[in-house]
Amino acid sequence: MNKVGSRTPRFVRIGALLGVVFLALPIIGLFNRVAWSTLWTQLTDVATRDALRISLYASVCATVLALVLGLPLAWCLARLHFAGRRFVRALVLLPMVLPPVVGGVALLGAYGKSNGLLGGVLDTFFGVQLTYSLWGVIIAETFVALPFLVLSLEGGLRSIDTKFEEAAAVMGATDFTRFMRVTLPLLKPSLIAGLMLAWARALGEFGATITFAGNIQGRTQTAPLAVYTMLESNPEGAYALSFLLVAISVAVLVGLRDRWIGGAAQ
Amino acid sequence: MISVHGTVEVGTFSREFSIDVGNEIVGMFGANGSGKTSVLRTIAGLCPLGKGELRVNDEFVDAPAKNIFVLPEMRNIGMVFQDHSLFPFMTAVDNAAFPLLMRGVKRTAAVKMAAEMLEQFGVAHVAQHMAPTLSGGQSQRVAIVRALIGSPSAVLLDEPLSAIDEASREGVRNHIREHLVRLGVSAIVVSHDRAELDHLCTRIENYTR
Repeated sequence: MNKVGSRTPRFVRIGALLGVVFLALPIIGLFNRVAWSTLWTQLTDVATRDALRISLYASVCATVLALVLGLPLAWCLARLHFAGRRFVRALVLLPMVLPPVVGGVALLGAYGKSNGLLGGVLDTFFGVQLTYSLWGVIIAETFVALPFLVLSLEGGLRSIDTKFEEAAAVMGATDFTRFMRVTLPLLKPSLIAGLMLAWARALGEFGATITFAGNIQGRTQTAPLAVYTMLESNPEGAYALSFLLVAISVAVLVGLRDRWIGGAAQ
Repeated sequence: MISVHGTVEVGTFSREFSIDVGNEIVGMFGANGSGKTSVLRTIAGLCPLGKGELRVNDEFVDAPAKNIFVLPEMRNIGMVFQDHSLFPFMTAVDNAAFPLLMRGVKRTAAVKMAAEMLEQFGVAHVAQHMAPTLSGGQSQRVAIVRALIGSPSAVLLDEPLSAIDEASREGVRNHIREHLVRLGVSAIVVSHDRAELDHLCTRIENYTR
């Protein structure tokens, strides 16, 4: 306690304490409202089960889709110098700062059945309708989750020393082999962090989903939409499902602790 | 045979080189910044030649005027990198076996060969250790094995003995020479240690400036 740097002013301590209380209170409040005796019954209710199933399925699909689109994007942003790179990066980050509802409206503008840019084509030629369908949920979730994956992978790709890929090339590894056997293993921590962040974001998606895919129980109603819907009709169910979503979020944090958050903290 | 006649350019560095290496071990001696590493990188295909021609075993692999550039993975060159560049996510033996796998050797056979060669170079006891846990000397020996194991048609060694302690240098040196003779290929050794080159090489080129 002798060093000046280790002496903390009282107002800082009080401020920090207030911050902790501010963040903890809603969680405690939520736990307080959970009816523990009927928790299991609530979570196994048809509407809740449907919502969980749709949420799980759509969020996993969205994460895979985000990976398929995000990995090449991250690669180009990290390693290629091309005209319009700043524009592409801004475009990638946009869904992160955009109000999700606006994202949903924009998706309607692109894929809406009657007035969307591509919606009519998809409907006429392929008989595919994204709005008010499970695919709509997946598209909406991918749209908001993609930036998290791209950011994480781009950072990872930048921090990889290319000397390992060079060594692999000299030893006879072609582009694809180099990527699979050298780049990917080196990228693993950022890949896992990015996938978990993207998946968590997809799982929590609300605004873009309800706007673009609607809120149809058993078809497009995800867990967050179900919580919102149930809050009036069945608050006990809403709190039970909320509790489960908190538990999942905590699990994601625990899974990430050494990879992203812990790294910044230490 | 390695033959470089041209301008090696890396970033702002640029220097004319004229080197012909037959079936021998040629040492390149020079201070830091004389472009020794850059020449090796150019021969390996990691940097393109600015001007001139580069041939390995009578085949043009880099000749800007002729519009020829053979990718590094097609040049079949064995190289010890100055910082070893072992893959950090692999064990020593998997690192050593990598060039064999790239040449289509089955995994079990490749690992067996790699393990035998690691033993020759005195690092069998750390074969299963992950690369980042190896000492500088151990890691350098693994890098040497990795450069020689895949039957390369030319071998480039960048400060190959710098991390190996004085007492075991002669042994490692003899093994390197033995393998180069067995392969019957051209080799270039780069070092700023003149005595080291005298011990290992059949001929020395001076690039001090």
